[in-house]
Amino acid sequence: MFETGVRQFRLALGMTQGRRLNPGNVARLVDDVLATLAEFGEPGTDATELIDGPMADPAARHEVANRSLRRTARRLAAQSPFYARRFTSANIDPAKIDVAGIRAIPVTVKADLMERPGDFRCTDVPAYLATRTTGTTGRPAEVWLSRYEVELWPALGALASVLRGEMGPGDLMQVNLSSRGAVAMQLSATSCRLAGAGYRPLGIVPPEVALDGLAEGGATILLTVPSYLGELVVAARRAGLGANDFRLRRLVVGGEVLSASLAQAATRTFGVQHVDDPYSMTEVVPVTGRACSQAHQHHDLNVGLTELIDLDTGEPAAPGALGTLVITPYFPYRDCTPVFRYDTRDVARCLPDGSLRCELAGIPATSQILGKADQLLYLPGGEVVTPRQLIEAIESLPAEPWPARYRAAICDGRIRLTLPASAIAGYGEAEAGRHFAAAGLDVDLEIVGNDQAASLRRTRSDMHETTFGSQHALVGA
Amino acid sequence: MSASIFPIPMWEQSLTLFCVILAGTTLVCAGALAYFRRVRMERPPVGTFNTRDVVILLIFIGILPFVYGWLPDPFVTCVLAVTFASALYIGYRPLLGSVGIWLAIGLLFGLNIWSSHYVMGTIPGWQLWYTEQSIVVGLSAIAVCNLYLQGGMKLRHVAWLSLGLAAYDILFASYYPLTGRLIARYITHPLTPVMGMRFGEVDYAVGLGDLLVYSLFFVAAYKAYGARAARIAAVVIVVMGGFATAFIPFLFNFTNANLDILIPAQSLFGPVAFVTYLWMKRHYGRERTMAEYLASQGGTAAAPQVEQAPAPQPASI
Repeated sequence: MFETGVRQFRLALGMTQGRRLNPGNVARLVDDVLATLAEFGEPGTDATELIDGPMADPAARHEVANRSLRRTARRLAAQSPFYARRFTSANIDPAKIDVAGIRAIPVTVKADLMERPGDFRCTDVPAYLATRTTGTTGRPAEVWLSRYEVELWPALGALASVLRGEMGPGDLMQVNLSSRGAVAMQLSATSCRLAGAGYRPLGIVPPEVALDGLAEGGATILLTVPSYLGELVVAARRAGLGANDFRLRRLVVGGEVLSASLAQAATRTFGVQHVDDPYSMTEVVPVTGRACSQAHQHHDLNVGLTELIDLDTGEPAAPGALGTLVITPYFPYRDCTPVFRYDTRDVARCLPDGSLRCELAGIPATSQILGKADQLLYLPGGEVVTPRQLIEAIESLPAEPWPARYRAAICDGRIRLTLPASAIAGYGEAEAGRHFAAAGLDVDLEIVGNDQAASLRRTRSDMHETTFGSQHALVGA
Repeated sequence: MSASIFPIPMWEQSLTLFCVILAGTTLVCAGALAYFRRVRMERPPVGTFNTRDVVILLIFIGILPFVYGWLPDPFVTCVLAVTFASALYIGYRPLLGSVGIWLAIGLLFGLNIWSSHYVMGTIPGWQLWYTEQSIVVGLSAIAVCNLYLQGGMKLRHVAWLSLGLAAYDILFASYYPLTGRLIARYITHPLTPVMGMRFGEVDYAVGLGDLLVYSLFFVAAYKAYGARAARIAAVVIVVMGGFATAFIPFLFNFTNANLDILIPAQSLFGPVAFVTYLWMKRHYGRERTMAEYLASQGGTAAAPQVEQAPAPQPASI
């Protein structure tokens, strides 16, 4: 108990002073939490403050953000060639930067990261692990991590997970993400190790293989992407599996839009309370967002600044307006390839002022992620249709076409929606049109053969990984 | 430490000391148990008592007499005031609230400081002083006992602590009698860490440390294994902490009539407490955790379900 107090003090001091944290100290704190849970069954008073920070006071929040921004900018000006140039050209003094003032700094876009990846790398730290974005929206970008980051992030993640009761001894996490997603695989593996949980990395294997792991393999946590979750639900139903066949207690998805209909079906099929849909992105790790019971996306305040920027003006989005998430991970949480004001192009809606009444009301929030900015459809009257609206409508069709395969475009001022025949099987085009109208979408439907389904919309579940037992592996054998 | 001051017939002295120890121990143990069963202290978000804490505690206890010996008396009083105030505040704020507990602490300390200066010339004065002293010390022992036990201290830790204190007592009461000198120097000052009474010309007292260890052993046994184990612990406390401590000077006549004597109570109690713990462990098995104890009482925290994850099956490749 005395040592735990010292460790907490060291962590708090490091966070306050903005010095590099000791990953070993955080890892030992995870052990302390596990011992606490083993003895008491739950953490003590104010456990949430330990992970979320004392961020309920907006003034304190603002002050912490200003200090963290200055600290981060000072380091980038000295160590990152890209940002040294950018700050100079924007005539910015890193020591005087604040939340309001950073709007003078242009956002960093993915093209910057792809064109000059070496310029983003800080010169004072050796690179250790390279990871690439999945490239579902274009060419992948490469991000290098330092050994410090690879050790620190899972330790902080494990600390939060065990304190929230999301993971612990006795759990077995099955990961059905692309095995090439080095960050996600590395972080989840280390987090499991620190939390005393089992870890089964399977990748995007045939759904039947994954179901074996979930049912007979006794997984208690599934980490995957929404599109693959859709495939799993379909495969489980086809195999006659239901809630009693699984030991799952948590379903965690990310990286794509999760529709309400798929989430409901998954909870019923796998026997869990709800599907966790946190926000994260390779380029801006370790900054994350958490979804609450009212479907807000609450953005982590401790490790980074999240702005919601109007898509047209570049100014902070007004309440009710759509904006793109612009994220700045703080030092000392981001070390090797830091970004400053990175425009994720992930679109969310700004919530009305003072509207939060959820269990995470102390943490600022936006709406759920509504899709990528370049996939928005602009109708002539000024109305904007988001990918989420389309996916929600398609995935709630009676045929339950999970994951949604579609192509949408504006033709003659109307939405032309292309769907595979299986999406409206047994329903009819006219009935489907009424279904979309009821969802607020006036669309012209185009139905194509099922063989074209995968080419309509690429999903992360398309990054299949073959096994010797699967048919694909035998081709050419 | 149990101290009797001024020689009178040894059997009478021993019997009176036994009664004083018994009364003090009974009050503190019963109070600690009642508190443990009824009051939940706030605890930090993370942290539970572990073996290293026992070591840290023993080191702290080992250093403390030297610090007290080095400090002038007014500073010792200040240190003791902070220590007692902290214990009382942590222990009784849940019951009295912030205002109530500070008023109570002010009243208790004020009376104690006043009586230390103005009423000590007479036997009733001494008795009033001891009564106040005993209230402060008893309440503090109850609070600290619960702070440790509700913080996750187990019977195993108490047993090791007792064993460590046995060595400490032998060292500092017999070979290097620092504790006795400290008590002789500090007695009559405010907030002396003893619980006792004066009868006639003789003082009978039991130290705060002894009371704390007895109550820890008693309540930890209850938490770990239930009421039956607590009764066994009570017998050990009465026999070794009370009877043996009080009557060993009488039986072996190793007292020096010209000096205040200090009986190293923990050197008698510690080894037996440790053996009792080993027996309980062998007889009853694993200790209950705090969560399991609360669950058994219909408390709020559920017993942790520490299931062993099944061995991961190989992926089909």
